[in-house]
Amino acid sequence: MDTDLSDLSLMQLSDSFFPTGFYTMSNGLETLFDEKRITDADDIESFISSLITNQLGPADCVALSNTYDFASSGDIEKVISADRALYSMKLIKEIRDATCRSGSQMLKCIKVLVSDNKILNQYFDAVKNSETPATHPIVTALSCNIFGIEKKRAMLLMLHGFSTSMVGASLRLGLIDHLQSQKIIHTLKPLVKKTVEDNITKKLNEMWQFTPESDVIQILHEQKFSKMFIT
Amino acid sequence: MKTRIPRIGIGGPVGCGKSMLIERVVPILAKKNYRVSIISNDVISKEDADRMRKNLATSQGLLPENLVIGLATGGCPHTAVREDPSINLSVIEQLEDEHKDLDLIIIESGGDNITTTFSPALADYFIYIIDVSGGDKYPRKRGLGIETSDLLAINKIDLAPLVDADLQIMERDSKIVRKNKPFVFVNCKTDEGVDVVAQHIIHDVLFDQPPKNLVKEAQ
Repeated sequence: MDTDLSDLSLMQLSDSFFPTGFYTMSNGLETLFDEKRITDADDIESFISSLITNQLGPADCVALSNTYDFASSGDIEKVISADRALYSMKLIKEIRDATCRSGSQMLKCIKVLVSDNKILNQYFDAVKNSETPATHPIVTALSCNIFGIEKKRAMLLMLHGFSTSMVGASLRLGLIDHLQSQKIIHTLKPLVKKTVEDNITKKLNEMWQFTPESDVIQILHEQKFSKMFIT
Repeated sequence: MKTRIPRIGIGGPVGCGKSMLIERVVPILAKKNYRVSIISNDVISKEDADRMRKNLATSQGLLPENLVIGLATGGCPHTAVREDPSINLSVIEQLEDEHKDLDLIIIESGGDNITTTFSPALADYFIYIIDVSGGDKYPRKRGLGIETSDLLAINKIDLAPLVDADLQIMERDSKIVRKNKPFVFVNCKTDEGVDVVAQHIIHDVLFDQPPKNLVKEAQ
């Protein structure tokens, strides 16, 4: 009997029902909406594409990929160094806090599902002792590794989750309808696939990100009085 | 050792008086030396949190300003306290790490519909609040909040004559729908009934334990 449950685990982790708090985040989209700089589906797709190409791909995906390998070799020190490196690249406080809140809560959930994994227990203790920040991509890497989800799929999962949460935020802001939402997710598939392929072999010291305009937008979001989203 | 601070969830429709109830209950608890933190989940702004911070912390000094925390919920108020309370839990864990002397954490849900419930992982005790302006049919129409909350508060009773709401009907139906669970009529403008809510909190949630800081001083 085939006992491989990795496909089901992939579905579980990528389901919006999985508790990560992603529905509270817009990554600056709310500010762009308020300033009427994003008004339609094309604008939304363009904004998500920019963040994937210049932020999540070269930074989060690379951190995830390397962490996945570090977890395979049981190297907790390197997992922690990847976590800290990625945290240091999150320039905006709202974004830093959000990725750590999602990551730490995801970790707690995984810990309920899996109790006897050495590297998970080591990482959990390190987070508990404030030795490492628990960014979401690092926790995703560990979780997928533990569940036997292959690395490439783990990266796809993360980018798909990001795209879906951004499209969900757009829908709730009233920018698009349910059909346009699915079309954007569908249209983004080639970019998501290419981003994974471009970054899956990069080393940790090759991480970069460059989204100055988005950074400023996200800073402006921090200063907003009235907002629906945490980021 | 990890400190688990008792938590109350307060939910109810938009404009029913959730924040107002907190603003009236906290002074009663503070007078008895209980230390409280408030997490206010708001649908669209941090206005409620800002107002509570100004009134309870800045003006009255009943708690530090940084213990009134506003949280945005991405337009999903019920998700934030039920299906995926992870962001609230993350804030609570931080409070439990940094403020071990707290006696109570109050979590206010964003305004929602009558099916609101709190995740048991988030709140130990659930107060659901409605007001009479929706008519005296409200309790009879049921809904998880009205039926299953630990305490039902019916606010703005002074408005009942103005909207033709019969409080006797609401009382009768509340008894039927909630069976033996308590409910209380309140008027948060005049504090009527608010002390009853505070007593329920002290008895049902804090188990009549004295405030932590008083216990510490006695030691």
